[in-house]
Formats: sequence, C-alpha cells, structure tokens
Amino acid sequence: MSENLPAAVPTGPRPSAPAPGTSTARPAPPADGSLRRLLRNPLGAVSAGVLLLLVVAVVLAPLLAPQAPDVSSLGDAFAAPDGAHPMGMDSAGRDILSRILYGGRSTLGGAVVALAIALALGVPSGLYAGYYGGRFDSVANWAVNLVMALPAMVVLLASRAILGPDVLVLMIVLGVLVAPGFFRLVRGIVANVRKELYVDAAKVSGLSDTRIVARHILIVVRGPLIIQVALVAGIAIGLQAGLEFLGVGSGSAATWGAMLNEAFQNIQRAPLLILWPGLALGLTNGSLVLLAGALRDVLEDRGGEPAGRRRGRPRTRTASPAPEVLDRPSEAAALLSVRGLTVAYDRPDGTGREVVHGIDLDVHPGEIVGLVGESGSGKTQTAFSVLGILPEGGRIGSGSIMIEGQETVGLPERAHRALRGGTVAYVPQEPMSNLDPAFTVGSQLMEPMRHVLGISRKEAAVRALDLLRLVEIPDPGRTMRLYPHEISGGMAQRVLIAGAMSCDPRLLIADEPTTALDVRVQAEILGLLRRLQQDRGLGVLLVTHDLGVVADLCDRVAVMSDGRIVETGTTDRILRSPQDPCTRALLGAVLDEAPAREPWQPREARKTTA
Amino acid sequence: MSRTTRTGALAAALAISLALAGCAGPGTRSSGGSQLDIATLSFPQSLDPAHAVGSALPFFQATYDTLVKREPDGEFSPMLATGWTYNDDATELTLTLREDVEFADGTAFDAAAVKANMEHFKKGGGADAKWLNDLETVEVVDPTHVILRLKQANPAMLFYLSDAAGLMANPAKFAKADSLRTTPDGTGPYRLVKARTTIGTKWVYERNKDYWGEKLPYENLTISFFDNETAIVNGIRTGQVNAALLQNADQQISIEADPRVKTTEQEFDFQGLLLFDRAGRLTPALKDPRVRQALNLAIDRGTMLSTIRQKRGKATSQVFGPGTQGYDPELDTYYSHDPARAKSLLKAAGHPKGFTLKLPRIAAIVNDALAASLATDFKAIGVDLVWDDLDGGSAVQKVFTDRAYSGMVMNMGQSSSDWVVVNELVTPGAFNMFGTTDATVRKLIPQIQTGTGAEAEQAAKALNAHLVQEGWFVPFYRMSYLHVSDGTVEITPQSGMAVPSIYNYAPAS
Amino acid sequence: MLKFIARRIAAGAVLLVVISFLSYLLLSVPDADVGRQLLGQGADQAAVDAKNASLGLDRPVLTQYADWLAHAVRGDLGTSWFTSEDVGTAVAGRLPVTASLTLGVTLVTTVVSFLLGVWAGVRRGAADRFVQVLGVIGYALPGFLVTLVIVLVFAVNLNWFPAIGYTAFTESPGGWLSTITLPVLSLAVASVAGVSQQVRGAVVDVLRQDYVRTLRARGLPTSRIVFRHVLRNASAPALSVLGMQFVGLLGGAVLVEQIFGLPGIGSMTVTYTTRGDIPVIMALVMFTVIGVVLINLLVDTMIGWLNPKARAA
Repeated sequence: MSENLPAAVPTGPRPSAPAPGTSTARPAPPADGSLRRLLRNPLGAVSAGVLLLLVVAVVLAPLLAPQAPDVSSLGDAFAAPDGAHPMGMDSAGRDILSRILYGGRSTLGGAVVALAIALALGVPSGLYAGYYGGRFDSVANWAVNLVMALPAMVVLLASRAILGPDVLVLMIVLGVLVAPGFFRLVRGIVANVRKELYVDAAKVSGLSDTRIVARHILIVVRGPLIIQVALVAGIAIGLQAGLEFLGVGSGSAATWGAMLNEAFQNIQRAPLLILWPGLALGLTNGSLVLLAGALRDVLEDRGGEPAGRRRGRPRTRTASPAPEVLDRPSEAAALLSVRGLTVAYDRPDGTGREVVHGIDLDVHPGEIVGLVGESGSGKTQTAFSVLGILPEGGRIGSGSIMIEGQETVGLPERAHRALRGGTVAYVPQEPMSNLDPAFTVGSQLMEPMRHVLGISRKEAAVRALDLLRLVEIPDPGRTMRLYPHEISGGMAQRVLIAGAMSCDPRLLIADEPTTALDVRVQAEILGLLRRLQQDRGLGVLLVTHDLGVVADLCDRVAVMSDGRIVETGTTDRILRSPQDPCTRALLGAVLDEAPAREPWQPREARKTTA
Repeated sequence: MSRTTRTGALAAALAISLALAGCAGPGTRSSGGSQLDIATLSFPQSLDPAHAVGSALPFFQATYDTLVKREPDGEFSPMLATGWTYNDDATELTLTLREDVEFADGTAFDAAAVKANMEHFKKGGGADAKWLNDLETVEVVDPTHVILRLKQANPAMLFYLSDAAGLMANPAKFAKADSLRTTPDGTGPYRLVKARTTIGTKWVYERNKDYWGEKLPYENLTISFFDNETAIVNGIRTGQVNAALLQNADQQISIEADPRVKTTEQEFDFQGLLLFDRAGRLTPALKDPRVRQALNLAIDRGTMLSTIRQKRGKATSQVFGPGTQGYDPELDTYYSHDPARAKSLLKAAGHPKGFTLKLPRIAAIVNDALAASLATDFKAIGVDLVWDDLDGGSAVQKVFTDRAYSGMVMNMGQSSSDWVVVNELVTPGAFNMFGTTDATVRKLIPQIQTGTGAEAEQAAKALNAHLVQEGWFVPFYRMSYLHVSDGTVEITPQSGMAVPSIYNYAPAS
Repeated sequence: MLKFIARRIAAGAVLLVVISFLSYLLLSVPDADVGRQLLGQGADQAAVDAKNASLGLDRPVLTQYADWLAHAVRGDLGTSWFTSEDVGTAVAGRLPVTASLTLGVTLVTTVVSFLLGVWAGVRRGAADRFVQVLGVIGYALPGFLVTLVIVLVFAVNLNWFPAIGYTAFTESPGGWLSTITLPVLSLAVASVAGVSQQVRGAVVDVLRQDYVRTLRARGLPTSRIVFRHVLRNASAPALSVLGMQFVGLLGGAVLVEQIFGLPGIGSMTVTYTTRGDIPVIMALVMFTVIGVVLINLLVDTMIGWLNPKARAA
C-alpha cells in the first residue's frame, strides 16, 4: 500500500468570497519544516513580514502614536504632513498616524475576535458532523443554512440596539455570521476523508476516534482551514469597513473602516485622505491573500505528491558507484534505447538536484524488461522521462531517449505528444486515482481514442467495448456507464490497461501496475499483461520493486539504486547469481527462504475478475 | 467547438454588446422646454396632501394647487383663492374662491371642497396637521366664499395656506380610503403618470391639458430620488439631471468647477445646538442663563464655518432668519469666540470645574469634524461633552419621546414667518419639550400674535434679542445651499422653502 | 435527484418561517418609533401615539407577527409605512435591478476568472504571478474608490455610459445594457480578483492529480485536458464561491447602487431597516431567504452533477 495519501483528497468547497483578508490569528505552527518552507517562498516571506510589522506597530500604538486618536483641533483640519504629524491631519483635525495605529487595534483585534468565534463555532461542529454524519450532521446543516440566510443587516441593527455600537459587538456578530463557511469547509473535507482507507485502517488498529481526528484528519483539514482563516479575516475587516459606509459602524471609535468612510465623505476636498487607511487596509488584505496563497502552496505540496514521486533526500552514502555489469544483447533494433539519461528537479532556491545520474537502458520489441529498485531509486523518474510526462519542476538534464529510432529528448511537446498513446503507452500504479472521478469509465476510454485515432463516437464505443472484453471485464456495456468510484481497484486497473492498449502501442511502460492491488488480483493482472504482450508483440518496461513480479514476467532485468543502474542481465542470471551488493541486498530482503521461482509458465486464463 | 472558434464567438458577442450599449448612448439630455428632470434627497410619505411637508412640497405642487400662492420673494398672490380678508381681531379669515375650476372627474372646486380639505388635513395625522390646531370651524357661505374661524389669532395662517395646509384635493376621493396616497387627484398644472412612476424612485408627471392657470414652461416633469449627493452631481454633469439642490459644501465646490453648470445660492437652514433643558431637569447646570451664554461663547463659529462648511454660510447667534421681521443683523455676531469669558461666566454661575453634557449624535447630521470640534471647544471651558451615538430610527424615539437628552444638534429651516418660528421653537411643543418659558416671553408672544404690523415687528425683534441674550439656543451658522442646473434651466430660489417651487423653473436663455 | 430537491425545498420552507419569526423579533428590538419618524420631530406626542396605534405598533410583538404571517401566507405583504406603496409591488419593482446586477456580475466574473485562473494555473510562472498580483490589487483597492474612478472616467469624462439611473430591459435593451455596464464593472473588479484565485488554486490542484498525468500519457493535448477534465473538477470550489457571492449580491450592492442611483434591493434594505419599516423589511427578508435556498440548491446540484463522487456525500 502506498505510503502516501491518495492524491485525490478533494479539498472541499473553497472559502467564500473575496474580501480583503487579514489574520493575526497564529496559524498552527507546522512542526515539520513547513514554516521554513513558507519563509523560503519569497511571497510568503514578504507577506508574513508585512503582516508582522503591522501587528507590531498596532500593538505598540501607545508608544508610537504622537497623540491620542480622538484629540482634535479643527483649525488644523486637512493639514499637510509635518514633523509632529507625519501623516497629516484629517477632516476633524486629528492626527492620522495615531488614528491608523489605534484604529488598527480595533480593526485587526476585531478581526481576530470574529475569526476566533467563527473557528470555535465552525470547526468542532464541522469535524463532528463530517466524521459521524447522521442526525447531528442534518441538524447542523439546517442550522448553518439558517445562519446564512438570516438577514445580516437586521441582525446587526438589533444587536446594536441591545448592545450598543461597539466594534467588539459588531465583530462577534460577524463571527457568528461567518462560522457557516468554516463549518461547510471542514465538514466537506472530513466527510470525504472519512471514507478513505487509511481512516478505516486506523480504526481497525484500535485508535480512538479522537485520536484519528486529531492525528489524521486534522492534518488534511489544516491546510484549507488556514487558508480560509486568512481569507475570512480579510472578509471581516472588509465588512467592517463596509458597514461604516452604511452608517452602522462603530460610532466615534477610530477604525480603518471609519477612516475610509471619512475619506469618501471628503473625497472632493481632500482626496489624499484615502491614502493611509487605504494603504493600511490594502497592505493587510494583500498580505493576507498572498500569505494564504503561499501557505496553500506549501501545505498542499505535502499532501499532493503521488506515490513514487517522493524526492529522496540526498543520502550521505560515500560508497563509490558499483561497476556496472552489463549484459548487452545483440543490437537488434531497439524499441526503446536510453543512453546517459540524467533527470534533475529544481530546488526552491533555483539549483537543481539530480535524481537519475546517467543510465543506459534498452527494450526490444517482444521483450519485457524489469526495472527494479527500492523506493526512491529513480525508476519512476526514468519511466516518466521516456513518456515525457515528468512532473512539475522535473526536467531531463542530459542524455538520449530513442523510441523506434527517433530521438525524443528535446522534442517539442506537440511531436512528443504524437508518440503517446499510439507508440508508447502507460499503465499507472494506483488505479483509483488515475481515473477522472467526474467522467464515466466509457467516456474516459473513448475520449483519447477519438483524439488520437480520429475515429467517430460510434466507432470508439465499439472499440471500447472490445477493449473491456479484452481485459476480461464481465459486463462491458454496464461498466462503460459506471463512474470510477463505483468499480473496484482491480477493475479499475483493468480499465487502465485497456486504455493503454486502446491505440495499439508498441511500447508499454507499466509503473508498478499491481502494487496497489490484492494478491489474488495481482496474479490475474499480471497474467493479463503477459497475454497481451505476447499477443501483440509489445515491448514492455515494467517498473517494480517486487522481485516476485520480476520472476514471473520479466525477460531481462535492470537494477536501479540511487539513480543509477547497477546491474542488468537476464532474469535468470540476476536472480540466481546477483553480482552487485545492492542487487544482493534486494534479493536478501525477500522473505521466502526458498530459491527464486522458475520463470512463469503459461496458464489457463481464468474468467473471473476481482 | 475548438478553442479558437470559441474565443472568436466570445469576441463577437462582446463587440455586439458594446455596440448596443453605445447606441443607447449616455443619458438623454433633455431639450429645454419639453422635459425637466429634478433630483431630490427627500420624498413624501404619500401623495395625500394631508401628508405634505415643506421639503417635499414640489411633489404636491405638481398635481395640487394651494389656496394662496407664495411668490419666490415671499409675497402672497391669488391661486385657488382670489382674495382674503381678516376680521378685526384676526379670528376670522374670509376667503374668496376662484370660479370655474374643476377636478379631473368634473367635481367642482368650491367652498365645500375647501372645507372638506381642511378637515381632512387637520385630522389626517400628517406631520403638519398641527398647523390647523387653531382652526375651529370652516363655514361655507356660498360656493365661492368660505370663512375660517380660528380659536385665536394666528399670524401664520396665510403662510400655511400657501404651503401644505393649502393644498386642495378632490374631496370625492376622501371617502375612498387611501386612494390619494398613490393616486393624486388635484387641480394642478401636471398629472402623475402612474405607469411610468415608481414610488420611492421616480415620479413622472405630464402636463395637465385642462389646467385653469398659467401654463408652465415644461411639458413633462420628472422628480427622481437619490440618497446621496454624489450621484446627483454626476447626473448634473452628464445632463441626466437638470436641476437639484446641493447641501454638502464639498459637492457644491466640486460642481462649481464645471463651466456648464449654473448655480444660485440660498440660505435656508441653520445648524446649531437646540437646548431643550433650560429648566435644568437633566443637566442642572443649564438652568442658569450664564451657563448657556458660556456655551455660546465657547464655540469657535468662524473656524467651524470655514473648515466644515468651507465658508458656505454665515455665522449666527440667532434662530430668526433674514426673511423674518424679528431678524437683526447685529445679533449674528452677538457671541464671539471667547473661552476666557465663558469660563468666568461658568465660575460665576457656580460651576468652576465645569459639568458633563450628554448629547445625542446622529451621524448624518453631526459628522466627525463637528463632533470633534464641539467636544474640543467645550472641553476648553471645562464642559465634558459626551456624544451618544444613535441610529436613525431609535434616535427619534430617545430624543423626542423618551426625552432623554438636554439638547440636540440639528439642522433647522428658518421660516420667513415669525409666527412659525415662535410656534416651532418658543412656545411649548416638540422643540420646547420641557415647556420652559419666562415673563418676557409670555409678554411678547401675544404681541406678535395679535399686534398690528409695527407692534408685531417690534415684539418679534425684542423676543429675538431676548432669546439670544438668555442663551435659549446655541446656533452655529446659517448654511448656504446651492441650487444647481446643468445649464439648461434657470432656477429661482423660493422664500420659506429649501427647495424651489415647481413654478420657479424656466428654460435658461 | 427529485427527492433530494424536494427535501431541500421542504427544509427551505421551514427555514422561511423560522427566519421570518426571528427577523420580526429582531426588528422589534430597536425602538424605531415609526410614528414620530413619519410625523417629524416637531409633532406632538398624542399625534405620534395615534399614528403608532394606526400602524398596529401598540400591540405585543407576537400578535403583530401573527397578523403579518396570516396576511403573508395569503400573499398580502402589506403596505410600506414610509411610502404607502404596496410592499409586493415595491420589492418586485426593485428586483430587476438587483437581478440584472447580480446576474451580470456573476456572468462576467465566471468568464473572466475562469480564463484568468486557468491561464495562471496551467502556465504558472509569470502568468501565475501576474494573476496573483491582479488578485491582490483587486482585493486591496477600496470598493468605493474603484467605483468612483469608473464613474468619473467612463461616464463623466468620456461620456460613454450614463452616470446614473437604470433603464429596464423591457423599456430598451440597449439602454438597459448601457446603464448596468459600469455598475457591473465596478462590482466585478473585486469579484474577479477573488474567484480567479480560487480557480487558479483549484486548477493547480487538479493538474497535480494522477489522472491528468495518465490522460496526458494517452496522448491528449493539455488544452483538451484543461477544458474538459480540469474545469470539470476545478469547478466545484469555484462554484461554491460564486454561489456565495451571488447570495451576497442578492443582498444588494449598496455602495454601487448609491453612487449610480440604481433603485435596487441593497439601498432599500439599508434605508428601510434603519427606519424600521417592518412590512418592507419582512418582504425583503423573505425574498433573500428564498434566494439563498434556491441558489444553494442550484450550486449543490451543479456540483453533484459535475462530480458524481460528491453526490454520494
């Protein structure tokens, strides 16, 4: 089972609408280096810095402000900035700097209050409702609709009448009104995640619900929640400013919203009045938005890496690269020919980190070549390079990849794309996450076929049915109409294989095609692959860490370790007499004491499917 | 479809919509003579004349006539009444009515109609219903003569008949409960076009072809309501609005910059602190006139006028306006800015350390600058001014019903009729909610009420002086408002009203 | 599906009643003294009391509410205390304005933010930074400043569009378009800033998914993947945001309405609520609740249609 979270963790309905965001709420300190990564992100660092500066300035208002915010001398109204009053005076002859600093306390502090209330109301209830569902969920949903539909204006005026036109009161009410957003966000995420297998696993292993929620679910929720906090804080501030306009503000208390309102009233006379409160609000909002974006990128990156893409931390092994023991077969025209391939990834600071350090590889038509190694050895990177679908930040450093005699390194995307599907095909590792949940199985089968082969819808449908039969799916017609979440893992993998076969490729790259499946299903899929390969004379590059699979299927094996190929040869030789220490270590890890099996013998295909 | 085709379609759609928008063009500039567009910041509660108030009078003038017409300079001239005479003690007012005037459905305008209207106004529960409190009965002598019998002499009666109380509606509609509220029925120069009217937004009138009187220059009249002056200013600049009144000083200055715009100034409202608590019930210190005088001396009217109003207006210490007989120009500057003297007056009155004064604050009237400046000025003489922020609706309740405050900063219109001023501010009533009075006031009021022309004038002047000296109120300044037109209309300000009468608009030459 | 919709509508009806009750209670809290507001400050107390009695304000709140409810279910929403107009007509008259604004802004926002968000999410690099900066600026600018500048430049100076007023579509389609263009533009600026960020985020998320890589491996061009698969999957969060924005706009864009002199729901709500014109406010509240329920239903249905997996949730 992949050690990473299944990549498709939908992050639920995103937070609500724009409005400048502020957060002085401390995001939960990520103990795992996320904070450091955030600071390395330039936008993240700058925005965090700006916000920090604002908060400090506002907290230190009594020290920094030239005078109290409501001291006024009408005769100095609209005065230009000078030594005593660095930002000038407003329409009532009050010092603008003082009002910005003290006003920031109300504004930012108020936002914190609103947020605290919204979080306190929305998050626990969202967690509970998402996790347990049932009655609480229905009731909570209804209550949330109620709060969302309540006319905010009416509520605000009533609360003002009872409790007075206090900024605090306003923000508390705002917090309550905004809580539904958090509830929906958290609930949505938790409800989705609840169904994931690892939660079941945790439950089965005896973890209490609280533990599960705290450990596993909160981690998933944390990212979107933090971003939501940043944005909603902005909304709170924006709303406060907006309410001042409507005359339901905070009376004479200095707030940034009130200052903006004053600027609006005097816009003809002193247009510059808008500068400082506008800047304060703008910087706060802008920083929040950018911070939210940076936080998001940092946090989501952790959860979003699909299996196999884990960037190995540079190991400090000092052993010299083992001498490559190559068994080169006769130079029959190779289907795939890799020479000196290096693959590197961009680090955040701009330098590159090589993950594949110059490998050579051949696949001939009709043969299955296994590419084995531990996780992180670079096998999947090699596979991706051949297909030209390296993920974000990855690129081929140097070397050559020839497919059917055509050089593909440096090929423009369009030309490379022409090879995919028709010449080279790909069977991925994790079946469920490799099917688009929004489209039916049939449509996903048909769409690329129609594009690559240029056939009509009807034709594609017929072919799709044939393909499904080919991969031994019992009721192809019905399966075509199903959605990915309605079929099992084994069926999904068969569909993916069907998809790979759909345009009659000559080279198949299979990336650990059975790792995610049950043992029984594994055998069937492997059998299917072998059969297809034999029937069509495919050349297959089979990436795997499972030596049993190698023994079953592969004609030749290449062993990868740490980005290099340390040994190649026929399956027989590698398994019987491994030369390289890494190979030996791999073999040694096989639990079965018995010697390696005989190569796979053809067997009657069984009709049942997983 | 392919991406390029889709982009192309989008571009085409955009182009078409822009073209359509362009075709319609910006607001229709009305050609002078056929259409007049007026913008306003207030509108009436209903179109039933019983609910008419001065600031919304133009709405009513469009479809109703008054008994007496008040000319722009304040003189009275005949309208639905062609003549009027008082008896000796001014308790009977005989009106001679115009003949051959009919309502739309043929009902005649006659003495019976006048009687029905006056009774409707008095019991109609409108804001100005109290104007007819002194009206005892209306006697129909014959179809063209009617006698108004008053309980006591009321010098403002003719003014009232030229204003809300004089509006004449079709009495046949009084029986149909509430129909007049949305469907006016009068003898006026225009008729409301209900199909194009949206109550609360836009009232559309078209010329009444059967109007008995002088034809007004415009065929069509539209009055549009806005809740802020920015929209009005923009409307004037694009010609979508032909005429409006601007109160805000900044807006006034901004629009004057536009060369096409024509402007005329008028002072009608004054702004000041109206003290209610002269008996010292809520704030004991206010009982002593010296304290009230101190308050007057504490205020720096000059700076306030120049900073808050940008010098649009005139500082004043009196509540009587220049149109009244009681007005004395000298009294405008009776109180100078003299905090030292104010402090010594406070000390002499027994308040050396000052006192606390709590006042209600309605954001729409008292902006930040005013609130801050008053607080600062009073603080300088030791008076701690505490503002109570109130929301629109509840403010009215707290101030006038609950009577929770000693005074209130207000904008008030200055009527051209002395008696109206006296009734509003001096005699016990809403603005004199605690009913304070003194011997001098009691002596002078009857003289204004029943005295001859010269007597009344003298008494009014004396009363005015007395009020100022006793510090009954703390006026700040008269505010200058600006009548603006987009250049196509000539506007004549109206005496006794902040907004011009319907009859005061004409195409610019 | 039908059962789902029916259940939501039923829940919505209950919501309507509950909210109407709560709102009535809340509206009665501030002492708005309607009578005195109508008659003016100078009126005497007896007249004010009489006026309040004539409006039924001297009765206990529950009685007043029951009376209102009894009339409302029959379709009679009463008469405005402040303008004497029939409430139903008054509110209905304002709906087209708000509807035009809301629909216009939503349309513009959807199209522009999807284009921007997809472009930023797919291209990354400079395009991404550009869209992010745009988003920041859009958030940071105060709304009234944007509106004022737009009016000044396009209406007053260039005279391309009218500065104030609203022309009904039924009166003149061209005029309607010209009167709502600038208001929609003013509102769309902030709106696009926000939604494009959401779309960008969602697009980046989806592009990282395994199935996108697999589709690429099968030979589909990126553009096709983006417009079919990415949009489908990225729409859900964007739709939620759009839905919430729509609801917000339903409440009316007060500032824009004020500056452009548009007789919409927003300014109506503010003015009449501060006055305490209960019949009108209650009608507005009812309208808003219905709007919210319907929009949420619509958004959830669309999300369910777009992502079958979410339907199960």
